[in-house]
Amino acid sequence: MRIVCPFCGERELGEFTYLGDAKPQRPPADAGEDAVYDYVYLRDNIAGVMSEHWYHGGGCRAWLKVTRNTLTHEISAVEPAAGAGSAKVGA
Amino acid sequence: MADFSWYIRSPLERALVAGRYGAPGEAGVSLTEIRNFDLVQVMARRGKAAETVNAAKARFGVGAPETPEAVDTTDATLIWSGPDQFLVLSRGGGQRMETLARVFAGLASLSDQSHARALISVSGDKARTMLAKVSSIDLHPEMFPVGTAAATSIDHTSVTLWRGKNRQDGQAVFNLLVFATFAESLWHTMLDSAAEYGVTIAHSEELA
Repeated sequence: MRIVCPFCGERELGEFTYLGDAKPQRPPADAGEDAVYDYVYLRDNIAGVMSEHWYHGGGCRAWLKVTRNTLTHEISAVEPAAGAGSAKVGA
Repeated sequence: MADFSWYIRSPLERALVAGRYGAPGEAGVSLTEIRNFDLVQVMARRGKAAETVNAAKARFGVGAPETPEAVDTTDATLIWSGPDQFLVLSRGGGQRMETLARVFAGLASLSDQSHARALISVSGDKARTMLAKVSSIDLHPEMFPVGTAAATSIDHTSVTLWRGKNRQDGQAVFNLLVFATFAESLWHTMLDSAAEYGVTIAHSEELA
């Protein structure tokens, strides 16, 4: 599997580290224990298209948001994760 | 309190043995360690990327690289090292921290890497063939022309790789910056990979 880093171009999987589901959002401080438990521990086991966080640690050290099909490994989109680089993306 | 005697020495001081290595005959690969350089990491602060590029332009006459490339200026090389960040490589003391801190004051965070990295220059007939064994990046001249840079990994070790100006004999030159503590390991990996082509080993104080 290869990932096209928006900053570096196409790179081999070995340069990246997988974090997991990019969907969970940190609940507000007053959201209650259940919401925090859900955010920290509970994950969907998605068979299909999933939004994931990957870290390009072996390259430009940017966090990326990757849309990947967990059944086929097909990657349909890669974008910088929130806060990763404000420079022009692409090329 | 213990008395420390600090002195500067290369992280490759033990590993690098100047001379010939590997297959006899004409050496296909030259491995040269460049010593005594100044290296400063510049990372733009949030929202200050464009201003940082402009500050570099005011200082060096060219903007800082915003894509993976290495730009030569009259007295420094600016090497892309990630989004909104680049390295300033120079020698002679003209572009050290104290100078650059004023150039990028309020715009970027700086970190002196002069003694934190080793700089290795790879050239020769078989340089690209040798690097192909250890790097997953396509270094063909069409894909990786002079001035191209990459933040990548070689032998599981993060490196900043860029293609410098060709040697006087027209041979391509690949420069590698590697963390000092990984330099010896990477050096041995490259030496092993290059042995079958014959290697000329040297160190120099001239930036390629």
